[in-house]
Formats: sequence, C-alpha cells, structure tokens
Amino acid sequence: MELLDRYLQAVRFWLPRAQQQDIIAELSEDLRSQVEEKEAELGRPLDDKELEAIFKRCGSPILVASRYRPQTQLIGPALFPIYQFVLKVVLLWILVPVFIVIVGPAIILPAAHRWSALLQTWSALWSALFVAAGVITLVFAVLERTQAKFQLFEKWDLRSLPPVPKQEQQPSRTQTVFELVFGIIGLFWLLAIPHYPFLILGPAAAFLKPAPMWHSFYLPMVLLALAGVAHQIVSLLRPQWTWFPSLARLITTGLTMIVLYAMLSVAFQGSNGGWHPFVVATATPDPAHSNRLTAIVNLAILVSLASAWLGLSIAGVIQSWECIQQVRKRTPHARDPALLRML
Amino acid sequence: MANGTASSELFENLRLELRRGCLIVAVLAQLRTEQYGYTLRKALADDGLAIDEGTLYPLLRRLETQGLLVSQWREEEKRNKRFYRLSPEGEQILGQLLDEWKNINASLDRILQEV
Repeated sequence: MELLDRYLQAVRFWLPRAQQQDIIAELSEDLRSQVEEKEAELGRPLDDKELEAIFKRCGSPILVASRYRPQTQLIGPALFPIYQFVLKVVLLWILVPVFIVIVGPAIILPAAHRWSALLQTWSALWSALFVAAGVITLVFAVLERTQAKFQLFEKWDLRSLPPVPKQEQQPSRTQTVFELVFGIIGLFWLLAIPHYPFLILGPAAAFLKPAPMWHSFYLPMVLLALAGVAHQIVSLLRPQWTWFPSLARLITTGLTMIVLYAMLSVAFQGSNGGWHPFVVATATPDPAHSNRLTAIVNLAILVSLASAWLGLSIAGVIQSWECIQQVRKRTPHARDPALLRML
Repeated sequence: MANGTASSELFENLRLELRRGCLIVAVLAQLRTEQYGYTLRKALADDGLAIDEGTLYPLLRRLETQGLLVSQWREEEKRNKRFYRLSPEGEQILGQLLDEWKNINASLDRILQEV
C-alpha cells in the first residue's frame, strides 16, 4: 500500500520526534483496518481512488499531526487584549505621530530633494514599525510564558479598579464665554498688527519690520482666529452638542499645523542654503547692531514656530484620541474599555 | 444565502463545543471494557457517536497522559494493536462525570419545562 505509506510518512514528518513511532503505528493500524473492512465489503482490493478517499477523509497530514501536539500560542487570550492595546498605542499613537511631527519634518524640511527625503522617511517609518512590533511581540511572548510564575492575573485589588466614569458633562458656560472674549480680543489684536507693528514687535518695531513672507500667511492666520471665535459662539449657542468642541479643536489644530508647516517650509527655502527671515531691519544709524538684533529675533521666531508645531502635534494626538472616544461613546456596541483602564 | 451559511457555521461550532465534553465521557464509558482504537471507534459510531481517527487517537493519548486510561501494545490477528482500558482513577472520574452529567441533564429538563 504505497499510498498509505506515503500518507503516514507525511504525517510522521509533523509529529513530535519522541512519539512518531507510536502514533504512526496506531494510525497505520486504524487505516489498514478501514481498508480491509472496505475490501471485505466490496469483495475486491481497493483501487487508488478509493484508497485516496479514505485518507482524504482522515484529513491533511499536517492537520492530523497537529492534533497530537499540545495547543500552543504565542500570546494567549488573557494577555492578547493588552498586547493589542500596547501595539496600537506604540505604533499608531506614538511612532506614527513622532514620524509625522518630528522625524519627518527634520529629514524633509532641510533636504534638497524633498521626494527622496519623503521616501527615506517612509521607509524609516516602516522599519521602526516592524522593529517596535517585533520587540513588543517578543516581550509579550516572554510574559505569556512567565505569567503563571509571577501570578500576573492573580494579584489584583477591587479598590484599584478605575471608578465608573461620571455622566458626560457639558462644557462650562463661563469657560466658553471667557474663551469667546479672549478669542475676539485676539482677533482684533491680529487685525491691528499691520497698522501697529509695535503690538507684536514691541520697542523693536522702531528698527524692525515684518518680512514679505507674512503677506502670504496673514490672511490664513486671521481666518484661523475667526474660526476660533466661531467655534466658541457655536459652543455657547449649542451646549448640547457635546461632540462639537473636541472636533472643532482638532480641526483648528490641524489647520494651524498646516499654516505653521507652510511658514516653516517657506522659511527654510532661502537662497544659498540660508533661510528666509521673518523680520527685516529698517534703515537705522547703526546697521551692525540692527542686523545682530534681527538675526536674534528671527531665530527666536523660528524656535517659537517649531515649538508651537511640536506642541500642536502632541495636542493633535490627544484631541484625536478624545474624538475617537466621543465616536465610541456614540457607537451602540462600543467595547467596554474597563480592562484597558485597569492598566 | 450568506446568512444561512453563517448560521449553519455557528450551529456547527456550537454543536462541536457541546459534543466535545460528551465525547470524553462516552470514550471513558466505552473503555470500561478493553478495546483498541478501531473497535472503539466502531462501537461509538454504532451507538450514534461517530468520531474520526484524527480526533479519537489524540484524545486517547491525552486521557492516558492524565492517568485516566492505561494502554498496552499486543498482537492480535497477526497485527500489533494498542489496547486501552479505564484505569482505577479513570473509573472514579467517570463516576463523578456521570453524576455531573445527570445533574446538568436534570437542570436542563427543569429549565425547559419552565419555558
């Protein structure tokens, strides 16, 4: 019975070495008995097709062999939700934002070939994602094998569980009014700057003036301030729209980041490897002193804009999370995050 | 159509889950008298509990490792066969399992009568 021997040989390959002989002998006996019974029933030897039907019904060799092995899993059902959560947080909420906000701009902005720098960032991001996923999986696989020893799930205290969240509260009306008032003051301040540069440059307005690049960005900045005021007005008039503030904040943050990115890009596109200034010196009796001061102010503005970009990026990540939470609360079958909150 | 397939798949999964525990009790009960794998399979099938070889033999090995069965290779009809029978510990566990089975059955009967 060549077909039977071939089948048994294939099963043997996937069996634990120490049990191969024993299992194959028993399986072989069973299959031979089946063949003999069928032959007795038909009164003739079975042909290859009939033999094949018996072995096929028994199952593929790898499947048959797998049933003799103890069930093994890299990460078990108890640790898996935590593994999934950590993976999601590290890959999506830490690595991707870090690449978009810090690594990406740091590689792309000063690069002469933007597309090649973008590709370089993209490939670096994927490498980082794979390495992080690998390390996390490895750590959890080790935890899976040691959790019984350290009694990870046996030691817990009822009082250390997170409290039940209070019912969703509407934002305070006083806070919204204050934000609206300050938003309007900010808008007027912004509108007054072209006529009174002193409002932004202080005493330095006597020998400094905004560089031409501001002509392109002034209108978007005014529109952003206007959008902020509109957001506060809507929040005041429709306090029941509890989802609105977080969504509006996220959109405003995103738009502000786009404007800041554009400003930084323009600043870095200066000629001869230099960068476009944010302020330039007016004609003064002491040009050397004025130039020194201009350089310091330009550097301060550059650092401020880059810091603002970084701060907004972090805020953007937090606001995105808030928005997702809002959506989850409104989804009827939202998952109970109690386990995750236990972490 | 897809709904029907999903529903039959669900039924099949639940049926297998329900069967899994029952099969252990049935195998232990059959092995109160010594048998080898093939005759055991036939006996179970004749009583309406067909079980394929890929499921039975790993189960027999597991039950033997747990000390509920004992086995012995012997020659019969010019072929080596592995004979299984219930160990003393297996007999005790089988008794407990049968009591549990009766309790579950009685509970289910009561629940079904309430409905």
